[in-house]
Amino acid sequence: MNSLDFSIILQAWPYLWSGLLFSLALTAVASIIGLILGTCFALVQHFEVPVVSQIVRGYIAVMRSIPLILVLFWFFFLVPIVLGHLSGNGRPIPIGATYTAFITFGLFEAAYYSEIIRVGLRAVNKGQFEACQALSLSTFDTYRNVILPQVFRVASPIILSQTIILFQDTSLVYVLSLTDLLGAASKLAQLNGRLVEMYLAVAVVYLVISSAASQFVASLRKRYALAGVHR
Amino acid sequence: MLYEIGAPPAERSSPIVVVESLVKRFGSFAALNDINLTVAKGEKIVLCGPSGSGKSTLIRCINHIEKHDGGRIVIDGIELTDRMADINSVRCEVGMVFQSFNLFPHLSVVENCMLAPMKVRGLSRPEAHDRAIGLLRKVRIHDQANKYPAHLSGGQQQRVAIARALCMQPKIMLFDEPTSALDPEMVKEVLETMVELAREGMTMVCVTHEMGFAREVADRVVFMDRGSIVEEGDPDTFFSAPRTERAKSFLSQIVH
Repeated sequence: MNSLDFSIILQAWPYLWSGLLFSLALTAVASIIGLILGTCFALVQHFEVPVVSQIVRGYIAVMRSIPLILVLFWFFFLVPIVLGHLSGNGRPIPIGATYTAFITFGLFEAAYYSEIIRVGLRAVNKGQFEACQALSLSTFDTYRNVILPQVFRVASPIILSQTIILFQDTSLVYVLSLTDLLGAASKLAQLNGRLVEMYLAVAVVYLVISSAASQFVASLRKRYALAGVHR
Repeated sequence: MLYEIGAPPAERSSPIVVVESLVKRFGSFAALNDINLTVAKGEKIVLCGPSGSGKSTLIRCINHIEKHDGGRIVIDGIELTDRMADINSVRCEVGMVFQSFNLFPHLSVVENCMLAPMKVRGLSRPEAHDRAIGLLRKVRIHDQANKYPAHLSGGQQQRVAIARALCMQPKIMLFDEPTSALDPEMVKEVLETMVELAREGMTMVCVTHEMGFAREVADRVVFMDRGSIVEEGDPDTFFSAPRTERAKSFLSQIVH
């Protein structure tokens, strides 16, 4: 076997960097979509909104029992067909691989975030709701200013852990022929035959980013433990 | 003297809380049974009785944290019905202090006091801040205004809770066993705050077993047992010569 040559990484870096940027962008967009939708889903269930909460519960159950890669496939192939039927002329309307990735990851994450937030809502002390009632705060102000901020503080370490998993899962976009960090490395590796160097390099990048995020999670936990928000 | 400025003398004795034939059930258990209670403006009432007698339930009904099943509650001329508008206008006039403080842990002390005045009373941030600092000074905790509740002692937290309720400028203050969750050495600072509030003429309904406080401050002691008012009277008479057997046996157990 040839000796390892890491200078290859430097040459490949611009391409790897663009892959990494895509992974990060996908993680950011999907987690924002996921958080907004997930919070809505959690609140719908928390308020036991008739019909809607059953639909949401079904959606979450389905999303959590199907592998993400399958959801990507379904979305990529099915949604254009559905859109075509809806538009009336029956011809599939392609939505493109990038949009598919962003939307699918967002919808998928929403199911997981929603479960985390739902549990967080249940964990808020009953006295907090009573204090808001006694102060005559509206339901909106109660959730906006008192309940949800506490839920997000308590749940933020778990939400971030979920986001780290999401970041690693972005590599699945290869099924849509999109190029993320891992995709970039594997394409280059096939071109230049330097598989070990390329995969070692991306492993290091994943490791650095994920463990930095984990460190951040740990420091958040500590901070909120000190502020007494956890209990 | 934030409250009652310019109130005509006739209005001072007019009732601010009227409770008539109040009934509250939890399932088949009657927590409150035909309760009648009138509180005059400026009056201080101490509710006492054995645990499970319904005293907490009664004051929780007065600001509709518990929904009553029968009878009427009228606060300052507004009857509590299921209408949210009535409930909110009543709650604006009624401050409540809980046994477990229930401060908002993610907000600093001063923010705890500012939230409701800004959101409910429509105060600007500086107005709410000034009012909050003023009332925190009154409960002598303004030097901790930027700390978070978790960094304060129980007694300090409860004084913040009192200031938070006062920031809404309520006409009545309800206290639900405000000192029961406190370490003994912190009870005094909270009671002193309450005594001061009473001296300023606040209408107060307190569920408490602090008999010293009741003797010093209460105009009337209301003794409850098993969901009914069994006996009421001025504190001196009640403590020295209770009329009913149940009050006698209760007092013999708590007065050491």
